[in-house]
Amino acid sequence: MRAAPDATASPATTASVTPIRFGPLWTRAFHGFNLLVLLVMAASGLQIYNANPVFGGRGGATVPQLFTLGGWLAGGRDWHFGFMGPYALNLGVWIALLFLQRRRRLAVGGDLTTLRASLNPAKRRLSAHRLIYSLMLVLLGFSLISGLALYKPAQFWWLVALFSVGETFGSTSWQTLRICHLATIPAIALLLVGHVLLAWRIGGLRLLRAMVA
Amino acid sequence: MTCSSRLTRRRLLGLGLGGGSSLVLGGCALNGFSTAVGQASEPLNERVEALLQGRGPVPEFRRDQVDPAALLVNSINGTPEIDPGRYRLAVEGLVRRPLQLELAALAALPQHEIVIRHVCVEGWSAIVAWSGVRLADVLTLAGPSPLGSYVYIRSADGYLESWDRASALHPQTLLATHLNGAPLPAAHGAPVRLASPIKLGYKLSKWVTGLQVVASLGERRGTWEDQGYEWFAGL
Repeated sequence: MRAAPDATASPATTASVTPIRFGPLWTRAFHGFNLLVLLVMAASGLQIYNANPVFGGRGGATVPQLFTLGGWLAGGRDWHFGFMGPYALNLGVWIALLFLQRRRRLAVGGDLTTLRASLNPAKRRLSAHRLIYSLMLVLLGFSLISGLALYKPAQFWWLVALFSVGETFGSTSWQTLRICHLATIPAIALLLVGHVLLAWRIGGLRLLRAMVA
Repeated sequence: MTCSSRLTRRRLLGLGLGGGSSLVLGGCALNGFSTAVGQASEPLNERVEALLQGRGPVPEFRRDQVDPAALLVNSINGTPEIDPGRYRLAVEGLVRRPLQLELAALAALPQHEIVIRHVCVEGWSAIVAWSGVRLADVLTLAGPSPLGSYVYIRSADGYLESWDRASALHPQTLLATHLNGAPLPAAHGAPVRLASPIKLGYKLSKWVTGLQVVASLGERRGTWEDQGYEWFAGL
C-alpha cells in the first residue's frame, strides 16, 4: 500500500527505508491544532445555527444533535467564542510564518496556467494541490472575517455592509452574511477532502504523517 | 529527531484524532464543559467589547431600510397587561432623587429616534426605528451617584436585566415608547422598553417598570444570564 505512492514521488524519496522527513514543528503544530479547533468551531457553530436556522428561520430544519457542541444556544456560544481567539491566533501566526519562510510553496498565477496547459500529470497534481491548500488559507481567513461581522455587527458595520451585494438577489446583507459564514463549513470540508486526497496521491500515508505527526 | 520523540508525537496525534472524533460522535460528553470554556474566555472578550464600544455612536440606517416584518417576538411569560394611566417608572438605588415617572413625564423629556439593527442572540436581526427618551436623560434626572457602576432593569413580567454604566449612558440607548413611528405595541414592550444598537436583544428589556442604580451586581445578573447567557452581550 505504501510502496505505490512512493513510486510516484521524487527520486530522492523512492527508497522505502528512508525515514519520514517530518515538516518543521510549526507546520505540524498548526495542522494538528487547526484540525481540532475547526471541529469545535463547526460543531458549536451548528449548535448556534439551530437556535434560528439560516434556512427557514424559526420553522426551519435543525442539525441533528450528534453534530453539535454545547447542548444549547448559550453552550454553543461559549465554545464558539471561546475558541475563536486561539483559532485566529493560530491562523494568523501560521499565515505570517508561511509568508516569511514558505512563500514559494503558496499558489501563484502560474499554477492556473499549469492546470490549463500542462500535460504532465504530476506537475498538474502539484499545481492543483498548491491551489487547494492556498485557497484553504483564504477560506479560513474569510470564516474569521465573516464571523467577526456577525459577532460585532454594530462595531464592524462596514464589514456587514460589504455583504449588501446580496441585495441584488433579494437577500438582506444580514442573511447573505449568515449564509456565507455557514458556507465556510462545507467549503472547507470539500477542500480538506481534496487536500488529503492529493497529499495521499503525492506522498501517501508517509506525507500525511509528516504533515501532522 | 530521536525515535522516542517521534513516538510521542504519534501518540499525540492519536490523542488528537481520538479527541476530534469523540467530539463529532459524542459532543454531549463535552457539553458539561461549556460553562468553563465560556468563563475562561469571557473576561477578555468583554474587555475587548467594552473597548470597541468606546469609539462613539454606531452609524444608523435610513428610515426606508426598516423591515417591520423581520422583528420577531420573544417573551419569557406572555404579554403583561399594563394600564398606561397607572404606569410609573421607578428610578431608585444610588440616586440623589428617587423618581416615580408617569408616561407624561417621559413624553416631556427630549425625544430621540434611532434606526438600528436589532440583533437577537438566536441569530436573526431586523432593522427597526425606535423612538423615545435617552436612558441617560432619565438617569441624570435622578442624579446617579458616581459609585453607581451598574443599573438593574426590572420588567412588569418579572424579567430582570443588568447593564454596565457606560452602555446605559450611551447616547443611543433609549427607553423607547414608539416603534417605527407608531406607539409601541404590547407584544413589543408597551408602554416602555429598552432599545439600543450596542446590545443583543435579550439585554433590551420590554415592559420596563423599574431602574435601580447599584455599585456592584448581586447574585442575580439577569433572567437569561443566570441560566448561562453572556452578561455583557455587546454588539
